[in-house]
Amino acid sequence: MELFGTWIAALLTLAVLSFLYKDNPFFRFAESLFAGVSLGYYVGITLDQTLKPNLFEPLRANFNLNWDLAIAGLLGAFLYMRYVPRIGWVARYGLAIYVAYYIGVEFTRKINGEVLPQMARTILPVRGFDFGGVGAFFTSPAMLALCAIVGTYSVLVYFFFSKEQNAVTRPIARLGVWFLMISFGAAFGFTVMGRVALLIGRLNFLIYNWISPTFGG
Amino acid sequence: MSLIDRLFSVDRRWIFLFVMLAVAVPILFPLGLPVTTTGSTRAAFEYIESLHAGDIVWLSYDYGPSSAPENDPMAEAFLRHCFVKDVRVVMCALYPLGGLSLMNASAARVAREFPEKKYGTDYVNLGYKDGPEAVMRRLGENIADAFPTDVNGTPIEGMPIFQGIRTIGQFKVVFTVATGLIGEYWITLVNAQFGTPVIIGPTAVSAPKYYAFLNSGQLKGMLGGMKGAAEYEQLLARAYPAMSEFYHRTRLFTGTKGMDAQTGIHAVIVGFIFLGNVAFLLARRREGRA
Repeated sequence: MELFGTWIAALLTLAVLSFLYKDNPFFRFAESLFAGVSLGYYVGITLDQTLKPNLFEPLRANFNLNWDLAIAGLLGAFLYMRYVPRIGWVARYGLAIYVAYYIGVEFTRKINGEVLPQMARTILPVRGFDFGGVGAFFTSPAMLALCAIVGTYSVLVYFFFSKEQNAVTRPIARLGVWFLMISFGAAFGFTVMGRVALLIGRLNFLIYNWISPTFGG
Repeated sequence: MSLIDRLFSVDRRWIFLFVMLAVAVPILFPLGLPVTTTGSTRAAFEYIESLHAGDIVWLSYDYGPSSAPENDPMAEAFLRHCFVKDVRVVMCALYPLGGLSLMNASAARVAREFPEKKYGTDYVNLGYKDGPEAVMRRLGENIADAFPTDVNGTPIEGMPIFQGIRTIGQFKVVFTVATGLIGEYWITLVNAQFGTPVIIGPTAVSAPKYYAFLNSGQLKGMLGGMKGAAEYEQLLARAYPAMSEFYHRTRLFTGTKGMDAQTGIHAVIVGFIFLGNVAFLLARRREGRA
């Protein structure tokens, strides 16, 4: 059975990789199959791992204690009423509460968890220069702090679009572009590594899990 | 046709073939190139090293099959590290497409290597839950509200591993092996609101954005992509002879095994970028002359 699964996975991998040569029916079949299986998988695990233990089972086991879950379940069911045009307006109530909940969670999460800590880390004392050599100087805490401050403010100046740039702000914005380019370069490097890792995983599977056990070697 | 014109009209499928060969050859004939470690991975490793036997940690599988070659080795190295240190592990999956299946397979693989570890006492698999932010909010109040049962449908209340444990705030660390946004939620929601330290193992594509969280002290450590996984494996192998032997003899795919191919392909890509830039500069010079 495991070998059968390996063969299916290997043939589907080859079908997907065949797109690199040119578009073909095998690729389109694999693509459609993946979309369908993904949706089915998502529905299946949501029913089995979330709705069953967190909603249906508690309601069935002790309704008096868990009746409030029925309200949440009902609001979720309301979302599907948009498919019944006569009572489609009901979906808006479910959606409104869903949106309100996530605005509340997201607002706190972004401000408390991201904006404030990141701002605090940008306001740094420029202390601790190390004059013990060129390498030590450029990696000293003060230089790193200076780099973070200059980088942050120059990029912010570049993205300040409310006023036309003048002789003072233009060179600062240009410096901001350099910082951005360096960060894009780092991101590109990581992206190459990430994408190649996926190819390594697939080729490793084809060679050691499919070709080697099936054809020997 | 001049050399520049030839370079500009190369069929891109030749490049695909080069890339394929640059990856396949090191997989078939491993070179065993050395892997150097970086500060962010060492910080993550040292944090886990500082834990004591009996401490409890949370491992979240927040990725799917599309990034498994990068993320699987991280999750498994972390799990092995916890098991050799007798640290208890609670696992969950918050990524919908395949996270649960990967967790089940990964947990079973590593648990087989440590037959003395008891399910429900030393580790537990809580399964998948939909809506990561809502789940994390509930974890801060009562874990059993978010995960009333484990992956098999057994109620978690009464399991030895949860004795005296009620909220995520009581865990020593959350290790999120993540693709996409879920890793960020652990930092900006669980760490910020409940104070639980977080270590992240992101895909390489997401790694640059997490350096900001690392520098602000919101992360205890980070394993960036396959390289981060390989670094963690190296540190684990250096610290524990049993792990060194395991990584030496295993037939499983590991981050370290992938690094030979990474080095080969990076050399090819740097070569192509160099060639492309030379062709571009020569073409511009020719246009300037004309």
